[in-house]
Parts: sequence; C-alpha cells; structure tokens
Amino acid sequence: MMIRHHPDLHRLLEFSAGNLGDAEALCIRLHLDLCGECRNRVDALDSLGAVVMERQPELGLSPSVFERVLERIDADRAAPPASAGGATGVLTRILGTDLSSVPWKQSLKNVGVVDLTSRFPAQGHRVLLLKLAAGGTAPAHTHRGEEITVVLQGAFADQQGVFHQGDFVVLDCQDNHRPVAVGQEDCITLSVLSAPLRLTGRFTRLLNPFIR
Amino acid sequence: MMGQSQAASAHSKEHTVVPTDKPVRTDGPQDHWSQLLRAVGKHQDRAAFHALFVHFGPKIKYYALANGLTSHADELVQEVFVSIWRKGASYDWRKAAASTWIFTIVRNQRIDMLRKQQRTGAEVPVATDDLWQIPGTDEDDPTASLHRLMSERRVRASLSQLPEDQITVITKVYMEYKSHQQVAEELGIPLGTVKSRVRLALKKLRVILQDPP
Repeated sequence: MMIRHHPDLHRLLEFSAGNLGDAEALCIRLHLDLCGECRNRVDALDSLGAVVMERQPELGLSPSVFERVLERIDADRAAPPASAGGATGVLTRILGTDLSSVPWKQSLKNVGVVDLTSRFPAQGHRVLLLKLAAGGTAPAHTHRGEEITVVLQGAFADQQGVFHQGDFVVLDCQDNHRPVAVGQEDCITLSVLSAPLRLTGRFTRLLNPFIR
Repeated sequence: MMGQSQAASAHSKEHTVVPTDKPVRTDGPQDHWSQLLRAVGKHQDRAAFHALFVHFGPKIKYYALANGLTSHADELVQEVFVSIWRKGASYDWRKAAASTWIFTIVRNQRIDMLRKQQRTGAEVPVATDDLWQIPGTDEDDPTASLHRLMSERRVRASLSQLPEDQITVITKVYMEYKSHQQVAEELGIPLGTVKSRVRLALKKLRVILQDPP
C-alpha cells in the first residue's frame, strides 16, 4: 500500500510541538498509525523539540517541588500502575469497538455517520466518522472552512483524485466535491470540519439537517 | 552544553550504572541522561531521579512560563516528574534518547494542563497519550528505533549550525505555543517567509529528505 497524501511539514511540526487541537491531532495520529514515513518525521521533530527545550535558559526551582514529587510517588505504591494504551488503536478506544462493528447511523442513502463531536469539546469542530457504501456517491457539498479527512478503509475518488487508506486530505472552501467510494470495500473516513458543510446538490434542503 | 557534560562526568563518579543482564550492547545507553532514566525505570533509583530533576527541572519550568502557564509552572514540573517516575519502566534506551522521551512527556503534560483549564462539563476526553504518543511505547520496530536514535543525534549536532532567523521561528513554535501565523505576526514578516524558514531548517536537519508532494 502506497500512501500518497501526507500532512504537510508545518502541520507535523505543530503536532510535534503540541499546538494542534485534539480533533486535528486525531487525524494526524490516524495517519501516523498507517504511515511509517511520517512517523519517522515526527520522531525527528520530537527530537528537535527536545534539543530546542534544552537550549533555553533555566529557571530556579525550589527543592520543595521535588519533595512534593516524592510524596506523590510514595503515595502511588498502593495504587495500581496506570494502564498503557495497549495494542488497540486510538479509534477503537474512542468508539469502544473496532471498525467492523460500528453502530452507524444511516441518515443518507449510501452514507453512515457516527458523530464524535462531543468527545472533542470546546473546539468548534465537528468530528465525524463516515462510511460511504462501496460504489456509492455522497451528496455534493462545499466547505465553509477547512475539512481534514483521513481514509481509514477503502478508497474514495472526487474531482481531485483517488484517495486510499492512510491518505490525509485537506479540503478548503474552494472545493466543491462529490466523493464516490471506489473499489470493493466500503470507504470509511474520519473527517474534521472546522465549519459546517454546505450541500450543493439537488437535495440540499432535505439533507442539510443531517449533516449541518 | 559544556556545563552539561561537566555535570555529567562529575555525576557519573558518584553514581555508576552497573551493567545488567544480557545487554545487546554491554555499554548500555551512551548518553548520560539515558543511563539515568534507565536506572529510574529499572531500579527505581532515586539518586538518578533527582539528577534528572536537577538537570531537566529548570528547563521545564522555563518551558512552562514561555508557554504561558505562569502560575502553574511549578505544577507542570511536578506533573512531569511524577509522570516520568510512573512511566519510567516503559522507557527503553534502544528506542529513544532520554531527552526526547522526556520532551514528549513535558509536551503532553502541558497539553493536559491546558485541557483541564478549558474543560467545562463531565466529558470523557480522549487521552492525550493516545493522540501524542511517547516514543517507543507502542512499537517494536528496530528500524524505527534506530532511525529515531540517529535523528536525535543528527538534530543535536546540526541545530546550532542553522541561521539564527530559522532557529527563532522553530523556537517560537516549540516553546511559545505559537502557530505559524502568530509567529509571522509577532516577527512582522509574511506567513510565507515563516514557512520557508521552517522548511529550510527541517531540510538542513534532515527531518525531511525531500519535499512531500
């Protein structure tokens, strides 16, 4: 599998610096889980962050800070160690299930949706897991803001090209697109919208309440 | 940097890390801080833990202030070291240098602290460590590990060779929680200039070998 569409450098840098919101960070994470090339880049960037931090001036610390740390780790002993992430991916932990048994809401023909927005509070984004049935076409729409999409399964095509599993796609308000799921599989994506979608097809008024 | 290596050699006299069971390389991690961190993780070595605190603590405090955590700077340092202690057992010097591993913990604790301040209701947020991974935790890929260690060395060796204007931009992104746009506004230069400085810097540090398409 060849991933052709990556987050640009600036986004990776801001990710490594911890300057992105959770929703956008999730898109990067899902891409990284599939893209070794970008994982290597982020590793190098994390090292850059470490070296930059080490070059800065130092500020005096009261010994009491260390004493408080020791008090807390002593109090830890009774507590069980924090469980690590484990083998399941971040999305499985968010959904409580894997991609094969997601409780899709079938609000539009061909399109299943799980709205994850409430898990990303205070960011003004909509976070949607979307499933486009194999061979199906989604309603045409434009974006008022930016839309970031990561392809998690299958592939879709629109005017700009074909996007496969792992691809990280950024669309802005210039783009009026009408995605079609290509190939044998349903196409599952995670999409983060910085502003509501605007449907541009014939069923606009009918469908807008579902997608907003 | 000089001060660091002096402190390092002074310290290793009083605190020698004994080579342990079936090491891949008998000498273990080569850099001092990784040796100390390994001792914390493997043996709950408090002297090593304190040495890490003395070295990294004041830098983390500066990081907190630069990031705008004015009244929470000591708290961030505290959270970071509690976290280093708790996660120490999972640190593997073959997968990441201590400084990189610690930086990612600092960053994640800063993100957590800001999120706590912004939180309104009883939402169940996504765990920060799930989104921003600590290097080496979820993977057993020797190639990735080797790549990580090599790029750490390369970045450390070549950062000081970058022109000051490139270092400034990179530093503001990492230390001051600023977007490229904010950096441009603050420096009074076009966004395109900020981006090209970043790009040049990352090329020279070989974070990127070529421009992504």
